[in-house]
Amino acid sequence: MFSTSITIYHYLFIGLILFLIGTIGSIIAKNVIKVLIAIEFMLTGINVNLITFASYCSSGNFDGYVFALFYVGIGAVELAVALYIFYLMYRKKESDNIESYSEL
Amino acid sequence: MINNPIVFYIASFLIIVFGLFSMFLKNIIYSLLCAIIVFFSTSILFYILGSEYNAIIQAVIYGFAVPVIIGLSIMFTTGKNNNSKKGFTLHYITLLAGAIFVLALVYVIMISLAMMPDSFHITELAQFNSYEVMSAFARGIFIDYVWAFELLSLLLTVVIAGFTLLSIKSKTGNRKL
Repeated sequence: MFSTSITIYHYLFIGLILFLIGTIGSIIAKNVIKVLIAIEFMLTGINVNLITFASYCSSGNFDGYVFALFYVGIGAVELAVALYIFYLMYRKKESDNIESYSEL
Repeated sequence: MINNPIVFYIASFLIIVFGLFSMFLKNIIYSLLCAIIVFFSTSILFYILGSEYNAIIQAVIYGFAVPVIIGLSIMFTTGKNNNSKKGFTLHYITLLAGAIFVLALVYVIMISLAMMPDSFHITELAQFNSYEVMSAFARGIFIDYVWAFELLSLLLTVVIAGFTLLSIKSKTGNRKL
């Protein structure tokens, strides 16, 4: 049923699935916080791709690992800023529905 | 490094199932808990791939720090007025657009796989030791990409300073939003 050897395509497929879950979730989610979680899923899918290519396609070159590390930092900063903006707007709108935030 | 297919399949199953649960559950707390499981399972994948450092960073930041921030946001923002009105037409249109997007993406992947040269069929995972990976991390962060590292540090500093400034302004009451 399952393949005994894991190839690069298995990891790339998981990264793709995670990215698609994040993309579709960010499209259909109504809650702002859920949209942010979906965006983090997309970033994690990209990280899976970076580390997979660094592990399989490079011989002694670990740039993909370093870029994944930077990506985690950027993702954390983006989430913190987005949540603070959401909190400030929530105090005015009193709603976590994303359709209420059509204008800044 | 664990080169075991069972661990890979278990981690992949957790990622896909709990990722879908996280997106389609109504309760935002349950959604956050499922997201935590996804992030930890992704760190297991990183460990299997031979990047222990990335696995620890993923588990610490996405498994602990990010859920704490999101949980605090949920505590601060839920319970007053959740007017989540469902627009069924828009819901189905977005689902249809998502399905079309997925089909287009699968088509692009199939086309690129057909155009892929034969020399690209890489099936073996490179074997690295931990000292080699850590020294490569240090070389990448402090020598090769030191400008990106400093830029990220500057960005984090600006974010902390901005949060502090906004908090002080909101306390004194002269914040405009």
